[in-house]
Amino acid sequence: MATDQMARAGGKQMERRRRGAIVTGIGTAARLGLAVVWAWAGLAKISDPEAAAQAVRAYRLLPEALVKPFGYGLPFLELALALLLLVGLGTRVAAALSGLLLLVYIGSIASVWARGISIDCGCFGGGGAVSASHTAYLQEIFRDIGFLLLAGWLVRWPRTWASLDGLLATD
Amino acid sequence: MSQKNSSEAKRTARERMQEERAAQEAKTKRLRKFGIIGTVLAVIVVAVVIGVLVQNSRTSSYDAATQAPAGTIGTNKLIIPVGSSAAPSTLTVYEDLRCPACGSYEKSFHTTVNQLMAQGKIHVNYHVVSFIDRNDNGSGSKNAANAVACAQNVGKFHGYHDVLYANQPDETDDAWADKSKLITLAKQVPGLDTPTFESCVNNNSFGAWVTAVQKDFDKSGYTSTPTILLNGTSAYPTYNGEQISTANLIKWVDAANKGKTPATISPSASAALVSPNASPSAG
Repeated sequence: MATDQMARAGGKQMERRRRGAIVTGIGTAARLGLAVVWAWAGLAKISDPEAAAQAVRAYRLLPEALVKPFGYGLPFLELALALLLLVGLGTRVAAALSGLLLLVYIGSIASVWARGISIDCGCFGGGGAVSASHTAYLQEIFRDIGFLLLAGWLVRWPRTWASLDGLLATD
Repeated sequence: MSQKNSSEAKRTARERMQEERAAQEAKTKRLRKFGIIGTVLAVIVVAVVIGVLVQNSRTSSYDAATQAPAGTIGTNKLIIPVGSSAAPSTLTVYEDLRCPACGSYEKSFHTTVNQLMAQGKIHVNYHVVSFIDRNDNGSGSKNAANAVACAQNVGKFHGYHDVLYANQPDETDDAWADKSKLITLAKQVPGLDTPTFESCVNNNSFGAWVTAVQKDFDKSGYTSTPTILLNGTSAYPTYNGEQISTANLIKWVDAANKGKTPATISPSASAALVSPNASPSAG
């Protein structure tokens, strides 16, 4: 009976471990996926600072004095998040900040849409005014919601493989 | 009894020690957690601050006194004027040399615009913007804008402008990324293709001015090209609700000029405005 109990406990443990591995695997994929998204978004915006500033200006949300700091700074915020997620340092915090930034982006796109302004979101470079037939607000918002889900997963289950967090043994 | 007591005492001591160790562990864990959060925030702040500073230093400062092509006007010398400034009406044109809508505007209206200038009825203020490179990637807009600035610097903007629009590549074809194509087209403008012009095109000599013109357009609130204004009122695609056509453009200009005298333009200057690329011996 004792051995039976032990076997059952062992089975449960193995089951738990297997489920843990699946969660960790998904988390790892989400972490690296989000890192690639931020790296791509950031790199696409740093080559032409004027274009990045204009992409921000086109939202007509910020006063002119803040257009340049945001246009110049946001790509580097994205790159910093990419770096942190890539090495897996402070995964939960980085994911939470990613989610916050994505919520800001989604809100901004929705606001532009609601005000009837025709722009490219400038999410991956480009940006600025486009003709009304070339707007893609719904796709842009759905895409960002997809990224938001990755960030949400990592906030809930931040443990991943090949991460600095793992090396430092903190969870 | 005493044995039992002592073992109990041992256990409580062990428990106490375990508790202390657990508390200690929790403490170091917490500290490490805060350390990580601090590191994350530090990485982000440092990256953003350095980024803003780097991008700030990368954006070329523009000095109107030394970096604008000769003959440009306006507060920061960002406008290229064509025609007699004494003409009563002003046509303001924001164009991107790579923009297909600008190409079709030029195709339909450049003859009429040139004639109106030759008659001394209008003068045109060109803003050569260059944002298509952002939308479609590439460098053709900026290269072409720099090249027309080089032409303006030697007084041959008008002819070269017309040649470039007549030979505009498809929007998605960034043909003018290759500066030699711009130089080849310059051969159609009598006297333009000189070693000075070629080095001006190849060295992007008016790059800072091109950026400044685009920045000015970014802040203008106009969002598309061509933006055409007749005496400050939008004239493209409609002017006060009326669709633009060559006949309507002439009609609008005449209405705006009512009671005003057209500029006096010498016959040779007039001929040059009508066909800016005719060989000078013919004039």
